[in-house]
Amino acid sequence: MSLIDLQNVTHYYGTHCALQGVTVSLAPGAIGLIGQNGAGKSTLLKILLGLVRPSQGTGAVLGRDIRGSGSELRGRVGYMPEAESFVPGLRGVDLVSLAGELSGMPRKQALRRAHEVLSYLGLEEARYRRSEEYSVGMKQRLKLATAMVHDPDLLLLDEPTAGLDPDGRDSMLALLASLATRHGKSLMLSTHLLGDIDRVCSQVVIVDRGQVRGVGRISELRSEYRGRYRLRWSGVAASFLDSLRSVGVNVDVNGRPDEALAEVPDGWPARRFFELANGSALTLREVHPLEEDLEAVYHRLIQA
Amino acid sequence: MPIELTGYRGWEGKQRSSWRAVWAIVRTGVLMILRRWVFWLLIGLGLLNFIFNFAFIYLKATLTVQDEGFARFLDQYQVTGTGEAYTEFMRAQATITALLLAFAGASLIGADYRQGGMIYYLSRRIERRHYIVGKLLTVATVVTLITTVPALALYVQYGVLSNSLDYFLDNPRILVGILGYGAVLALVQSLLLFAVAAWVHRAVPLVMCWLGIFVLLEALGAAAREINDNRRWLLLGIWRDMHRIGEWCFGAREPERIPTGPQCAAVLAGVCIVCLIVIIRRVRAVEIVR
Repeated sequence: MSLIDLQNVTHYYGTHCALQGVTVSLAPGAIGLIGQNGAGKSTLLKILLGLVRPSQGTGAVLGRDIRGSGSELRGRVGYMPEAESFVPGLRGVDLVSLAGELSGMPRKQALRRAHEVLSYLGLEEARYRRSEEYSVGMKQRLKLATAMVHDPDLLLLDEPTAGLDPDGRDSMLALLASLATRHGKSLMLSTHLLGDIDRVCSQVVIVDRGQVRGVGRISELRSEYRGRYRLRWSGVAASFLDSLRSVGVNVDVNGRPDEALAEVPDGWPARRFFELANGSALTLREVHPLEEDLEAVYHRLIQA
Repeated sequence: MPIELTGYRGWEGKQRSSWRAVWAIVRTGVLMILRRWVFWLLIGLGLLNFIFNFAFIYLKATLTVQDEGFARFLDQYQVTGTGEAYTEFMRAQATITALLLAFAGASLIGADYRQGGMIYYLSRRIERRHYIVGKLLTVATVVTLITTVPALALYVQYGVLSNSLDYFLDNPRILVGILGYGAVLALVQSLLLFAVAAWVHRAVPLVMCWLGIFVLLEALGAAAREINDNRRWLLLGIWRDMHRIGEWCFGAREPERIPTGPQCAAVLAGVCIVCLIVIIRRVRAVEIVR
């Protein structure tokens, strides 16, 4: 069963189209949601949380209809907002416990679960302190605790590392990765920090101007870029480059005498570079297959 | 403890109806007020009035047995076990409640707008209607705890300390009055406070608005009445309107007195409807995902 399955989802705010024809099918796991400001990420999150009904289209989250009861959907989904979201004056444990009760848990179970979740997130010693007294990193964890107190199957995380120092960010990402890999939780991570997604997520949804530009496993999106190599040599390369071009390889020397980028046809074995180099007056020093990072994937898909 | 050493345990209980969460909102709100010593000054004032009345009734019951003349002397004071006495007691208590709410409104409702409490509540399983009902019930509970509950306690005490239990049988209207007046106070004040705090989130402006509604409007109404010689201007005083309905609940019938009971009820109903519209619009306007 798909975790998220949307079919041609479109949403308008008045006459402004915030999402247009979004069709995605995502398997359980850690999913990154990327897009510029105003791309439609927030609208997509609202739809997944059951806070708004799409103007058109159908879909399901965790097998529940997105046009059905929003509260039922939020019973199985946890949301960690980017903005501060605390009830002032409440202690950490009370805040998490109240979140549990608001999510439909009985009071005693919510309190017990609040203690468990806070311990799991490393806030055991701070649980009796008021949320106003927490540091930024602790507040992020506290928000995560309130999102996961009712043990949701899917966590929607909006900029979970915002405002964190490098250590705090590292720790938060390790925690999220652990939730996804060791405890089988599905996450959707909405962030501008592509490195965070690269580290935690296995799938990605790229949104731009209300449309999905790319969706799928990050490794598969990267593989679309396969077939590019950086070549380095010493010696005279003219005949080598000519022989590459003659077999259908696009070569970009980019003004450098000892280096070129080569884009090869499908099924090209790397050893062919050496075979062609053997017949030329040069020594091939490096054949390096190029791989895109997520940022490059993002820019490529947006520009496409 | 490091994360690697702690285990994550799931929860597999049955989720309850979202309406049960309303109680959690009410409990949290009431405890929030009770935790702050500043509010205890006003709660203490209300308690003082209650204890004074409680002691007076006890003294009167004791002296009635010993010296009926002295008991009649005590009847000059308002602790007589009649409807008027309870109306006045509840009015005094309601004044204290209004003061308390003026200060508590900013932390009960205003802070939810300022510090992300709305996002906290509304991103859970509950809908906006549950939040609204929860907050209204919180304010209503505070009002009831300070006005209706002490009045009921005095009613029971008066009846128990009288010679027979006939007091309860002879005065059922007082019970209706206490509950009715209490309900009016709770309903109007909770709706008004939520509506005002949804617009004015901070404490000082909220207190000024609150005083404006209850004091300035009353004064304006009185002044307009003097100028135009039309008692209907008194309808501007929401406090007076609530008191009038309270008197009606206790059985007072003064059809020739202007403004009339139905006029006051109409004004209060109008105020409540406007407040409800404001509340719904202000809660709807909150963006949970930004």
